[in-house]
Order: sequence, then structure tokens, then C-alpha cells
Amino acid sequence: MKEKTTAFRVVDALLLCLTILPIVCGMVLKILFTPPAEGIQITGALIYFEVPMPVQNLVITEAQVNAWLVMAAILFLCLYLTHGLQVKAQTKRQIFVEWIVEKSEQLTTGNMGDYFLGFSPFVAAILALSAFSSLLSLFGLYAPTSDINVVAGWAILTFILITYYKFKAGPVQYLKSFGDPVPFLAPLNIISEVATPVSMAFRHYGNILSGSVISVLIAAGLQGLSAMVLGWIPVVGEIPLLQIGLPGVLSIYFDVFSGVLQAYIFAMLTMLYVSGGFPLEKYMAKKAKRQARKQAKAVQ
Amino acid sequence: MQSLDVISVNIWQIVISLCNLVILFLILKRFLYKPVKKMMAARKAAIDDEYAAADDAKRAAEADQAAWAAKMQEADSTAEGIIKDARETAEHRSQQIVAEAHERAEALVRQAETDAQLERRKAEADMKREIVDVSTELTEKILGREIRTEDHRAMIDSFLEGLGDAE
Repeated sequence: MKEKTTAFRVVDALLLCLTILPIVCGMVLKILFTPPAEGIQITGALIYFEVPMPVQNLVITEAQVNAWLVMAAILFLCLYLTHGLQVKAQTKRQIFVEWIVEKSEQLTTGNMGDYFLGFSPFVAAILALSAFSSLLSLFGLYAPTSDINVVAGWAILTFILITYYKFKAGPVQYLKSFGDPVPFLAPLNIISEVATPVSMAFRHYGNILSGSVISVLIAAGLQGLSAMVLGWIPVVGEIPLLQIGLPGVLSIYFDVFSGVLQAYIFAMLTMLYVSGGFPLEKYMAKKAKRQARKQAKAVQ
Repeated sequence: MQSLDVISVNIWQIVISLCNLVILFLILKRFLYKPVKKMMAARKAAIDDEYAAADDAKRAAEADQAAWAAKMQEADSTAEGIIKDARETAEHRSQQIVAEAHERAEALVRQAETDAQLERRKAEADMKREIVDVSTELTEKILGREIRTEDHRAMIDSFLEGLGDAE
């Protein structure tokens, strides 16, 4: 297929538009619903509406909606990237998407071992969701990762996975793992087990939130400085000219670098905790024993 | 519109976020990894096919080469045999020819020898007759009368015999 058909091009363009559309939607929502603010405010996510639920009301906030928008964008990006795959790679897009898949699989198997090859989509999901959520702040949107609830959900999922894989070698093995070096350290081990998701959630959320807080503070400070230094000039004085430059440079660190780095750290820690907690050899031994027993039964 | 506090924990939001990650995992698995891996498997199959075809072709070529080499060897040995045969025949024939030539030469020489002997005898006979004639004539002249050759032949012959012996 050397000549791309018109239909192919149309679908391509449509998918690209659908990738960008969620972000535009988020911006529109932000513009429509953000109340006019006086001075600087450091608050959590904007609440769109509340749904009465048991235990606690479910609040649909900016963070939730933005996370969904990011997911939609990623879905359409995937569809765009995998559109028109061919056995003989000809397009940069295909080379790029193959690179993503291969690299994520290499990363996963390199850190977790070959047993966890099926984990690579999960790792990629963490990386993509976390990085793109943090990068949403580049568009002036509320980054979902600066809401503790969002990150806590991921951390709890990681905790569930850690426990699941620890349990795979049997409950006795699971309980034994707490008294690992010496039995009297068991309380500490239990604390560290619980601390894992908490620390992961707080690390990620704290980094992103602190970045945005510092950005807001510096922007406000520069506005004040600008009014002080340039305020005497008739028209120009009303424009916070000093806000040009420095916030942009800081944004590269706080929004881009920190966001991507935290995504990487979160994915890395997930991989290490899950594979570190999984007693692969014992699990394999148990599996082999079970198979041997099954075979023996089948022979009888 | 209200905002949340900076730190506010909401269980349902946590659950939703957890589900979000699971859903995104499924999305990526279904829409990114599955097609790419399928394509890669197809590519691997295609490459394997190519390799198998290349191997087959190579094997066929090698078999051909071996067959040709065998054929060439056969041809070489045949040619050698032919040359050897030809050489033997030629040698044989040349020996034959040489032997024949020798024989013929010998025969010729023998013939020539006999011829020469005959010639000599003939010449001798001629000379004898000449001598007889001359002597007859001389004697006729000396005696003044005709000698009848037939009458005196025996005498002359015995004379000539003695002459021939004296030679």
C-alpha cells in the first residue's frame, strides 16, 4: 500500500482530532466553571457535582474529569498509532509505536524478570497516565496527579498486586515473609508493608502539588514585584511584565521534568515492589509439585 | 462552585482512580499491545518463512552443486579413459605401422637385391652374348668364312665358362 487512500487519511485525521479533543474539552470546562479568583488561592480540585453515596459522598471533581479526559486522549492516541500497521514497517509512526512496545517490554522484563512480561501494558499504563496527567498542567489544566485521591488509587492497586503476588506461593509463605530476617522484626515489616502504598502516593502527589504551589507563589510574587518596580509607568505598569520568563523556565522543571520523573519513579517502584515481593522460585517449586501430583492422579 | 481542600481524602474517588488505572491497562493491552504484537508475530512469521525459503534454496543449490561436481568428475574420468584408450590405440597402431614399414623396407631391399642380382646376371648374359657375337664376328673375319653359331655354340660356351671362371 504505497498510496494512502483518502479513507485512510480521513480516519487518521479523525483519530488525531479525537486525541486532541479531550484536552480542548478540559480547557473549555475550566474556562466555563472556574470562578473568578481574587488574589492567589491554593485549593484542591474544583468540584463539578456531588453524588450521594454510602459512607461518603462521591464528588466529581476537576481531577477525576481530567483523568478521564487523559484516558480518552490516550485511547485515541493508541488507535491513531496502531492505525495502518503493516508487516513491513514503512512509516515513522509504526517505528515509534514498535519502539514504545519493545522498550516497555524491555523495561518490564529487565526490572521484573521474564515471568512478568504480561506486566508491560500495566507499566506502560502507569507511565502514560501519570506522565500525561502531570503534563496536563502545561495546558493550564488541573493536573489529576496533584490530587491525593487519584494517586492513592494507583498506589492501592500496586499494594493489591504486591499482596497478590506474595500470596501466590501460598498463605503460609505469605505470613512467613513478615518474619523474614528474624521473627521479632515482624511488626516493623507489617508497618513497612503498609507504608509502601502510602509513601508512593504521597511522594507522587506531593511532588506534583508542591510544584504547582511553588509556581503559583512565584507567579504571584513576580506580579507584586512587577507592580512595585514598573507600577509608575502609565499603561505598561498594569501588565505584570516580570512574569515573562522565569515562570516558564520553572514550568520546565516543575511540570515537565518533575511530572515525567515522578511517573518513572512510580512505575519503577511498582515493578520493583511487585517483583521483589514475589517468591518466584518457591512459586515455581510449588507449581511443579502440584503438576506432579496431578500427573500422578491422572496415571492412577 | 466550590473547591476541595488541598488534602481531602475521598474513598470513592480513590476507587474510581483505581478503576481508571485498570481500565487504562486494559485499553493499552487491547488497543496498543495486541495489534503491535500481532503485527510483530506476523512479521516474525514472514521472516521465518523467508529464512526457510532461503535455506531450501541454499540446500537445493548445494545439492545441484554436488550433482554437478559428481557429473564433472565422471566426465573427467571418462575423458581420461578415452584419452588413455586413444593413446594406447595410437601407440599400438604406430608400432604396427613401424613394424609394417620395417617389413616392407626389408622386402624392398630384398627385392632390390634380387633385382640387382638378376640384372647382373642378365648383363653377364648379355655381355657373354656380346662377346660371343664379337668373337664370332672376329673369328669369321679372321677365318674368312662364316661360322655357324649353332655349330660352335657349345665350344664357345665352354670357352666363356672358362672366362667367367677366370673373372
